[in-house]
Amino acid sequence: MNKNIVIIGGGVAGMEAAKQLLSLGYTPMIVEKAQSLGGHVASWYKLFPDMTPASAIVDQLRKDISGANVFTGTKVVSISKDRESYAVVLDNGVSISAQAILFATGFSLFDATKKEEYGYGVYDHVVTNGDLEAWFNGKADKRISSSPKAVGFVHCVGSRDLKAGNSQCSKVCCTTAIKQAIEMKEKFPEADIYCFYMDLRLFGKKYEDFYINAQRDFGVHFIRGRVSEVGETIDGRIQVKAEDTLSGKPLKVQLDTLVLMSGMVCNKSVGELAPQVRLDMDDDGFLRSKDNIYDILRSNRPGIFYAGACTGTKTVPETLAEARAAAVEIHNYLRNG
Amino acid sequence: MADFGFRLSKSSTLDLDRIDTKVYDRLCDTDPDARTCMACGSCSATCTAAPFSGMSMRKVILGLQRGQDVRPMLSNCMLCGKCTMVCPRGINTRHLILSICRIYDR
Amino acid sequence: MIDRIPSGFHPFVLPFLIGMAFVLLYCVYGIFRILFQLPHEDRRKFLLSLINPVTAAKNVRDIFCDCLLHVKLWQRNPMLGFMHSSIAFGWFMLILLGHIEVFLFVPTRINLFYYPIFFNYFVAEVDQTMNGAFLFFLSDFFLLVVLCGIVLAWVKRIRSRLFGMRRTAVPSLVNRIAMYALWAIFPLRLLAETFTAHISGGSFLTGPGNWLFRQILGNDLYYMPTWWAYSICLCVFMCLLPFSRYMHIPAEMMLIPMRNAGLKIRHARKGLAKLQVLTCPNCGVCIDACPMSVSKANIKDCTVYLTRQIRRGNEKRIAEISDKCLLCGKCEALCQVGVQGPEIRIKQREARKFNISQDYSNISVAAPSSTGKVLYFSGCMSQLTPSIGRSVVSILDKAGVENVWMDREGGLCCGRPMLTAGRTDEAMALVHKNEEAILASGADTLVVSCPICYRMFMENYTLPGVRVVHYSVYFDELVKAGRLHLVKSDLCYVYHDPCELGRGCGIYEEPRRLVGQSAAIAEADKSHKESICCGGSLGSLSLSFRQREKITQAALENLYTSKADAIATACPLCQATLSRYSDRPVRDIAEIIDRQSTPTT
Repeated sequence: MNKNIVIIGGGVAGMEAAKQLLSLGYTPMIVEKAQSLGGHVASWYKLFPDMTPASAIVDQLRKDISGANVFTGTKVVSISKDRESYAVVLDNGVSISAQAILFATGFSLFDATKKEEYGYGVYDHVVTNGDLEAWFNGKADKRISSSPKAVGFVHCVGSRDLKAGNSQCSKVCCTTAIKQAIEMKEKFPEADIYCFYMDLRLFGKKYEDFYINAQRDFGVHFIRGRVSEVGETIDGRIQVKAEDTLSGKPLKVQLDTLVLMSGMVCNKSVGELAPQVRLDMDDDGFLRSKDNIYDILRSNRPGIFYAGACTGTKTVPETLAEARAAAVEIHNYLRNG
Repeated sequence: MADFGFRLSKSSTLDLDRIDTKVYDRLCDTDPDARTCMACGSCSATCTAAPFSGMSMRKVILGLQRGQDVRPMLSNCMLCGKCTMVCPRGINTRHLILSICRIYDR
Repeated sequence: MIDRIPSGFHPFVLPFLIGMAFVLLYCVYGIFRILFQLPHEDRRKFLLSLINPVTAAKNVRDIFCDCLLHVKLWQRNPMLGFMHSSIAFGWFMLILLGHIEVFLFVPTRINLFYYPIFFNYFVAEVDQTMNGAFLFFLSDFFLLVVLCGIVLAWVKRIRSRLFGMRRTAVPSLVNRIAMYALWAIFPLRLLAETFTAHISGGSFLTGPGNWLFRQILGNDLYYMPTWWAYSICLCVFMCLLPFSRYMHIPAEMMLIPMRNAGLKIRHARKGLAKLQVLTCPNCGVCIDACPMSVSKANIKDCTVYLTRQIRRGNEKRIAEISDKCLLCGKCEALCQVGVQGPEIRIKQREARKFNISQDYSNISVAAPSSTGKVLYFSGCMSQLTPSIGRSVVSILDKAGVENVWMDREGGLCCGRPMLTAGRTDEAMALVHKNEEAILASGADTLVVSCPICYRMFMENYTLPGVRVVHYSVYFDELVKAGRLHLVKSDLCYVYHDPCELGRGCGIYEEPRRLVGQSAAIAEADKSHKESICCGGSLGSLSLSFRQREKITQAALENLYTSKADAIATACPLCQATLSRYSDRPVRDIAEIIDRQSTPTT
């Protein structure tokens, strides 16, 4: 079939959609700005709730899409409507006339330096969830103590926070924090692990069991109180101030490493592309689907489709399911149109 | 009083049908944002007065919702405004305190 | 030149006399009332200042420069300056010339109040003298000057932008009538003098005008009604003056000596506050100045509307306006007559009832021992911007200054947020707690990084033997003394003046010098005393988070005009507020200096 489909973003959403489109007989083109495919999942270590190695999923997907045209290290410069199709110009000089475009642009991690009170970039032992995953994957990080007595996780950093510009819940961080807490406890069985949360939102399949495990088998301490200040003691440890809202008392605790659970925000590069083809943005800062219930995968423009975290925070299985469905949507659109 | 071997003590149950939330309702008239509190405790954690008196804006709002007298809780407030700065729901807690100070009858 | 009317009187002067008598009586009553409202010691201070030759000379000079020549307005915008000074100074000269003429030509009438005003009606020119011609020339000239001013005032009502003002206050009904009366006075005077110029004599305006009108009209029937109209307009203007914005003319003449005497506002509505309210000329300069006016909904909360509502006694609006203000002080800095908008608002807040009062008797602050060392006070807000405190201590260490961070683990509030909320007693209770701890520490220098605290320390603390210094000033001294060496980076910063530091404490240059030695520095469109509040100010009690966002965006837009890569500031609150929406880094000057400094030893 000589229909051109451009998939913007080579994360799991883009790859899964490409895989399905290949099996439907198309030859989609993936444009990925990073040097390799895989997106955020590729930089993750293990995935909840079964502790599946992230690399297994990414490697399998990479194999599955070997028939697609892949441009890595490439950005989309512009998109413009050209009669029935779209002219997509890439920064390597290639220009494509695409009958369909799939936005699989995903998310960016919230920039934790914006919450200066948490001391990211100020104190020596404050990292984000992303930093911790990179460390799990073997990247050296001096900020993460090699023999910690106590480690803390701050939930909702840049999520459910009007002051940070995101009032929505990032959905995956609660479970991620529990996963990382368990992983830290496995590495450092002697350390006390604290999770500071506002509400624990463990909505997905087996997530609640995961929470029970963390409590029962790993002894993770859950403290209901949002951290408001982080200080540093004279000997360089991190001091966290929160309210233990359940006992109603101000609380402080000294930690060796503090992990900030940075939330999800819409990928910043979407902000440049969306206005070119007049794509609507939703109140939460993500792309607006044609309908948030029965038309999640279509945009307000014909021929432009969405999959994954570009329309809101998603887990990996949700993203993969959307990508599969998006391939069908595109197929139907091209067949009928 | 005769000793019956047992005493009648006031029920410690919070009876939502009977509590008086007049102060809270008046507060919500001037500061409707008060309703959006999700009791995260950020305000209490950052509070300058909390170490001295256990002042907690979260408890003040909850107390008003439950019809309690919150006046003693406010005695150490310095109006420094840090609670307003950290509130993730953008509630003007500092104005809330001033409003509460005005609502109560002397 | 002779008296034309033997009795020296004509009924048309009556309206003028009634208006004049009314306004004089009102002003005399007002002066005594305001004097009476002053606290005893203030009244004494004020009266003594009047007989002090130095302040007396300053009073005369200020009244001449501000009330007549409007020097400050000239500096702000030449068109605006010309408009005001042409009306004020021109009118003053017309009155003065009238008196000179009476004195020279009909000295027996000098005791008649209305004579200098209506001189041209009462005299007939019999012999032309050089004196007469010259004086007639001058009075025609100044009349022309005033008329130019009136034309400009009229243009300003339609196109205020030509005068450097985007928005002006909407005049109330009384103000409108008084304004039209004022505008009518001078054309009517020109007409009246023109019509009688063949009797009384005239100059380059009135002379040819008279000839022209006589050609057209051919009789003298119309000149009497014109003199009547002139007198009636004067009467209307003067009778409305006490109830209109034109009250600022007499009020400013009293406010200037009070300011020079160093009086402060003590009461929400009485004394100096009352006088300032009356002095507000409703020019509306404060509307453009006000950072809140980026939202149309907030325009009626500017100082010009506060003074109007206070005059009307609209308590609901007074409370709203007073609580909303950020207290950034820009309206006061730009006010042409010196109305202290923020201070008046704080007093209104103070006057309102609170049924719970705070009590700090249970709190004791441990005094850090720091004899011979520098004590550092970061303020409670800096707990949320931890890099400031860390950088300050790091810089002090690099410069070899022995220091103790007083509130590293948290401390008491300085009291300013309480003070600006209008709760002075509670604020002073906090002040005394902090004073005790600082004095007990034995330190001789207190370095303060938060400008909110710094202003409070400067204005409300009594710390004998302790030098309170803002860190920008202290670091500047360290650099000058060679104890700290700064290396320039490639970055370019624009410095945002925090309200409390700039307009509040007058510190503008030290932070700029430090940033300029650590990096390139650019200026925003509006800076120094015209800088725009970040919108985070604790001064505002009622502004919501959403309403503040627009103000912050406007402040950022102003900073972006500099094209700098990053924003520097010297206030934890400004930093937190600006960085919330900024597209480029916002850093405290301590952070910048810490990165770019090396010890010199």
